[in-house]
Amino acid sequence: MSTKRQLTDLRPGEKGRIIAISTSGTVRGRMMDMGLVAGSEVKVIRVAPAGDPVEVLLRGYSLALRKKDAVNVTLEVD
Amino acid sequence: MIRAALIGNPNVGKTEIFNRLTGLSQRVGNFPGVTVEKKAGRMIHRGQEVEVVDLPGTYSLTAHALDELVARDYIVMERPDVIVDIVDGTNLERNLYLTLLLLEMDANLVVALNRWDMVAARGMKIDVEKLSELLGCPVVQTVAITGEGLEDLKNSIVEVAGQKNAKENRAVQNYGDDIEQLINRVEDVIQKSPAPVEKYPRRWLAIKMLEGDERVMEQTRASLSSPQLAEILSIIEAGEAAIR
Ligand SMILES: Nc1nc2c(ncn2[C@@H]2O[C@H](COP(=O)(O)OP(=O)(O)OP(=O)(O)O)[C@@H](O)[C@H]2O)c(=O)[nH]1
Ligand SMILES: [Mg+2]
Repeated sequence: MSTKRQLTDLRPGEKGRIIAISTSGTVRGRMMDMGLVAGSEVKVIRVAPAGDPVEVLLRGYSLALRKKDAVNVTLEVD
Repeated sequence: MIRAALIGNPNVGKTEIFNRLTGLSQRVGNFPGVTVEKKAGRMIHRGQEVEVVDLPGTYSLTAHALDELVARDYIVMERPDVIVDIVDGTNLERNLYLTLLLLEMDANLVVALNRWDMVAARGMKIDVEKLSELLGCPVVQTVAITGEGLEDLKNSIVEVAGQKNAKENRAVQNYGDDIEQLINRVEDVIQKSPAPVEKYPRRWLAIKMLEGDERVMEQTRASLSSPQLAEILSIIEAGEAAIR
């Protein structure tokens, strides 16, 4: 059974598949441009103190996300 | 003279390739009206003079970031004869997004599959012929730091610049029936415009309008009549309602 979790709830080493990006406008477009779209596999690499930023691995490269953006990413985690 | 422009994601090897193509003939200036550095140089290949411009490194071509806008405006307004898309061969998935955006802009494309040494060292296998066939443009393997493949790249640049039908087979991203219908409807409205709508390729323009791209909206307002604008806005609204 898979569960629904926010990207900010994952610990380093955990991964999931994006099911929703719940933000709009420029930020949403930017995130999609960087490859954060429904279906993408995302793995958390590192989390800075206080959870900001979060470094993730997706599509073979690593990306740092601000906590306030990462919190809008909903994943399906096995 | 052939006009070529280099583009690619940040850190893929654009400057290395630019230096190898243009040698000591470089000039540094700014893109008009903005403080984004513009590097241009010249090369002579097979008796043809080619002006090469190094565009800013970008992941995308939106109107939100100055670098991206500069690169995009250069491509749509200046219409270079050839766009050389430099791709990091070790990260195709990331890099090909920009490639598809360039094809969507109707660019006359040559893809340089750079870091080919690292592709080989990592034991990765890329079917270059298949990739070229899928994209519908030449794909050339290069190693910018040693110069390997640069002659092939120069040959492709000169060849594509001279081909009238170079874009005939290029890949067109299909967005699915719902979106394609909206694109067609907006294209139809644009087509009836009394004044030419900038130099933008029509399909690209329709897609940008559907995305609500501020720059495109602003630049096309003058060319479209108010009923046309109203029609386009209603198509966008209908589309948004359908997607939600
Ligand atoms: N192994 C290898 N390294 C390369 C190759 N091409 C470029 N590099 C290295 O990649 C790094 C970036 O190269 P640049 O030419 O500066 O890349 P760029 O695209 O101009 O980067 P930005 O202007 O910062 O976007 C440098 O350290 C190069 O030496 C290649 O084909 N193989
Ligand atoms: Mg550079």
